[in-house]
Amino acid sequence: MKHRPPYFYFIDKNNYAHSCKGKMSQHDRTRRVEQGRKPPLPDCLCKIYQEDYYMQLQLKNLCKQYGTKCAVNHVNASLSPGVYGLLGANGAGKTTLMRMICGVLKPSFGSIRLNGKSIEELGERYYSHLGYMPQDFGFYPDFTAREFMLYMAAVKGLDAKTAKQRTEHLLHMVNLQDVANKKVKSYSGGMKQRLGIAQAELNHPQVLILDEPTAGLDPKERVRFRNLISDFAKEKIVILSTHIVSDVSYIADYILMMKSGQFLLGEPMETVTDHIKGKVWEILIDNREVGEYSRDFSVVNLHHENNMARLRIVSDTAPTIDAVTVEPSLEDLFLYHFGEGAQEEGKCEAFLLMPSDDLAGGAKRRVPLPYERSNDYVDEI
Amino acid sequence: MLMKYEFLKILRKKSTIIVMALSLLLTAFLFGLPILQYQTYNQDGVIKGSEGIAYTKDQYQDISVPITDEYVEKTITEYQKLFENPNNVGYDGSEKFLIGDAYWNFVAPREKQLSMIASAYDSPGENSGFNKLPDLDLANGAKFYQARNEKVKSLLNTPARELSSQQKDYWNNMSSKVETPLQYGYHEGWEIIMSSFELLMFALLAVCIVIAPVFSGEYQAGTDAVILSGKYGKTKLVTAKIISSMLFGVLAFTLHVIVAFALPLAAFGADGWNLPLQVSGLTIPYPFTFLQATLLNLGVIYLVLLAMICLTLLLSAKMKSPYLVLVVLVPVLFIPLFLSPNGTTGAYNLTLFLLPYRCLMPEIGKYVSYQVGGLVLDALSMRAILYAIMTAVMLPLAGLGFKKHQVA
Repeated sequence: MKHRPPYFYFIDKNNYAHSCKGKMSQHDRTRRVEQGRKPPLPDCLCKIYQEDYYMQLQLKNLCKQYGTKCAVNHVNASLSPGVYGLLGANGAGKTTLMRMICGVLKPSFGSIRLNGKSIEELGERYYSHLGYMPQDFGFYPDFTAREFMLYMAAVKGLDAKTAKQRTEHLLHMVNLQDVANKKVKSYSGGMKQRLGIAQAELNHPQVLILDEPTAGLDPKERVRFRNLISDFAKEKIVILSTHIVSDVSYIADYILMMKSGQFLLGEPMETVTDHIKGKVWEILIDNREVGEYSRDFSVVNLHHENNMARLRIVSDTAPTIDAVTVEPSLEDLFLYHFGEGAQEEGKCEAFLLMPSDDLAGGAKRRVPLPYERSNDYVDEI
Repeated sequence: MLMKYEFLKILRKKSTIIVMALSLLLTAFLFGLPILQYQTYNQDGVIKGSEGIAYTKDQYQDISVPITDEYVEKTITEYQKLFENPNNVGYDGSEKFLIGDAYWNFVAPREKQLSMIASAYDSPGENSGFNKLPDLDLANGAKFYQARNEKVKSLLNTPARELSSQQKDYWNNMSSKVETPLQYGYHEGWEIIMSSFELLMFALLAVCIVIAPVFSGEYQAGTDAVILSGKYGKTKLVTAKIISSMLFGVLAFTLHVIVAFALPLAAFGADGWNLPLQVSGLTIPYPFTFLQATLLNLGVIYLVLLAMICLTLLLSAKMKSPYLVLVVLVPVLFIPLFLSPNGTTGAYNLTLFLLPYRCLMPEIGKYVSYQVGGLVLDALSMRAILYAIMTAVMLPLAGLGFKKHQVA
């Protein structure tokens, strides 16, 4: 699909949706405007299209059941461009959710829609906008990196010329150009991961799904990888699953937390820790008391100072009278929800993350979805 | 482009090279064995290998003639005359036979031809060698082809065959189309090919082993998620995988066929390609030459090959690893090796003749036929139809299996 308007709609600043009936791609439309030619839509709409248009990936009542076990349990979300850090403990349902979004695992119930159209209905048009880097995915050991990339380009429907250009560009970007003719089986784990993200980016995907991309990488590789993801993430919906909290804290615009197959929380990065403000404490105690505090509280950090120990604790109540509240971090939030004795929260069943007026990256606001206001959507599924 | 890479995926694997090399060597060995073991005799002793082949060819020069009734009568008369001289006759306690110069000068150069002639006068299921020739009444001529036709009728009327009148008519009609007089001649190479078709089983297995990972290998390696989420992962890629597997299978099998045919034909010569099948079995009903029959059976074998490729792909799409595919496939291919037919009728025998291993054998002289309502089909036709249907059914199912695969 080459950005054909029938599959897109754009939303203006007043939150009104407009369908685009023209047959031009956004690129072509921009080019026409730059060339001083009349665009096929009224200027006002065209301006909106260029400035405020964005995609929406909607997850509606998404479920995946294996026998009696519910791996993903009635997940609702509407995602617009941005980097979404999908956090959750192992077995929370992150990978299952991502596989369903990528169309390689059929949901038991519910639907996934891109700009209002079911991905099943869109078929190839959806997959042409998708980039996926699965967790621990295999390679063809007898292929060189270049051959692997060209093969993946063919699978993604790129023509031969574009495939070659993109392959060389991406291999250069992930710093594998010097070993591009070596067989993949000779690559280290980090090199394979870099090749993995390069293949995901081949088709300039609008939706980029990265499942544990930094798992097994050393700190240097992780930093390099984070930067790569940031480079690739512009104007895309990027869903980045990990249980390494620090990775997402650097690059994510939004945090989605999953627990037992459900979204526990979905907030912009800037405000995600707000609701545990006043629940993160720092205390200085005698070394001998560490065991006792570790039993009774979720200890995020422990630092020994002479005969004393400085503990960072996440708790609804102050652990000691002289405990001092500190600024919460994403790690504190993670432990608050997934640590021992973590509390079950109200489920964030449906939310819509929209770019605010400040498109330069300011705070995002949470807007209820139409179906969040009524139960009509149930009939659509 | 996709096909190129799918083809490369198959060819680049070490296992492909190893399996293909081993199977080619095995095929060459099995089809080369008759050359290595070939031996013939003359008065001076055994003549082996290429010398033996050259000697046999030379012997055939005088007997490469049309087998007319007159020729048959003349040959039998000569045999009877030699038999009248007690010095030419030996006795081993059970039967009499020509010995000494009578044997070496008359019987030895035309032993196969004499056997063929004598077989016309045997009852169905009987193999009396040359025993009946001395006592054969030639007062009204040899009536060689009449004797053949009667023998065919007797064969068809054997109660154990349980043939319906339509089936009998079918075979009689086919047999009547055999052109007479039969042209006799040297056909050693073709006879070896016709009797060794089943040895191509190893080539068939090798092809199946190589393509077993086409789909299941993706599941096993964990590449399924990334290719199925590609634009063409569930569409053109599936087609490319199927076509490249088919192409590889056909090319690899053809390579085996070339090796299998080239060895006997190079050693024994291609002479006899235009001779009728009946020179190697008088009651064979098919009115074909050796070349026609070879090509016909090869055509059926290619249909079996395509069906087996489709079965392999279907199993590959449904199973998690290539080993599981082979666990199912190897018994399907090799269990019939240990099952022998006990007749030519009944569900057991009729099913057995349709199993992949048996389908490689031409079985052209067994009068195996299948009746569906008023329609009678011989084994070759039935196999061709069955395996073509199997291919047509399993091919889309294999593709669908991969398209519907769930990455879990």
